[in-house]
Amino acid sequence: MNKRIALVIMSMLWSAMTFAAGTEYRMRVDGLACPYCAYGIEKKLKAIDGVGKIDVNLNEGLVIVDVAEGTRLTEPQMKKLFQDSGFTYRSMTETPLDGDAGK
Amino acid sequence: MKNVNHQRFRFHRKIPAVIVLAGLVVGTVQAHDPIFGIGPHVLYKGGIEVAPEVHTGKKGSERETELGLELTYGLTGDWAAGIDLPYRFSKDGSEDASGAGDVSLFTKYRFWRNDTLGAQETAAILAKVKFASGDENNTPPVGSGSTDAILGLSYGYESRKWYRWASVRYRRNGENDDGLRRGDRVLVDLVGGIRPKPTGYLEPDTVWLLELNGEYGRRAEFRGSDLPSTGGKELFLSPGIFWTKRNFAVKAGVQIPLVSKLHGRQDNSDYRTRLILEWHL
Repeated sequence: MNKRIALVIMSMLWSAMTFAAGTEYRMRVDGLACPYCAYGIEKKLKAIDGVGKIDVNLNEGLVIVDVAEGTRLTEPQMKKLFQDSGFTYRSMTETPLDGDAGK
Repeated sequence: MKNVNHQRFRFHRKIPAVIVLAGLVVGTVQAHDPIFGIGPHVLYKGGIEVAPEVHTGKKGSERETELGLELTYGLTGDWAAGIDLPYRFSKDGSEDASGAGDVSLFTKYRFWRNDTLGAQETAAILAKVKFASGDENNTPPVGSGSTDAILGLSYGYESRKWYRWASVRYRRNGENDDGLRRGDRVLVDLVGGIRPKPTGYLEPDTVWLLELNGEYGRRAEFRGSDLPSTGGKELFLSPGIFWTKRNFAVKAGVQIPLVSKLHGRQDNSDYRTRLILEWHL
């Protein structure tokens, strides 16, 4: 039992460390009016290896994605992803998730 | 001779019920589209929409209830296609019958889209073919016995707070084996909607709708002759609601007749209702 708990904790720590060294992408997307319609974006982003937390800010037209270290999201890839989801990709910024970097 | 007369008697009793069927089989709803009208919404590429629904209607002594399952697939981000599988319960006076209704195939293509911050304005065309697959030999019948085609054009605007749609559909009805051809129909819809409280991505979201649904039907023809007490104009006012949470939606509405100018001696529509559950997978 103790081994199982230790395993779960280690796996959570590993996961946290991986994403802590990853990247946060903020994508400006037009056409985001309702939460229900944004589900297709979430589904398509989650199909990409290394994608972790996803948040959608409808009022600001932002899709915020945390990815693990070693995973990169490119502009052509996102343009196609949002087109296939029924929205228009505008721009993207990326910020490293390793502590103070990017501040 | 007695048998022939009996068949003719049964057939003439079937005519009004077959014509009533046209009132229910017209909608194809996706995501934030109107409940009774059509909208330009499609589905994301590779997405699957599963939508069981209940659709009811009452017109004088005739009652129709349809349990339907609509399955839609997103071929691209702007093009979807699907199938509608209905099961019907028909009641006319003291007689009632149930069985598989007419299966339909449909497709919708969004040919124009203007995306801005927090808003989307779109237009789409829709085509639907309803096959003569339902049982038309029941009394009252649950299938129309004809292959019909529907062509539609819709415009929609949605923002964080306001919605508006306009659409027009033309329904070309085929002739059944008995020589009955229901009159072609034109349907025009104007719809407004409001989201009273703009909500976040994973929060439950509610949009209220008010539809104005106009229907014009030509007279039905039986073996080349017009049937006088068929067709006409109806106008409905239809309040409705969408409630959604993430990839699940509940949509409901009721059509209340405002104006009925039907040809000859016909019962006016009393009401129609529609309840849809929808999942995006």
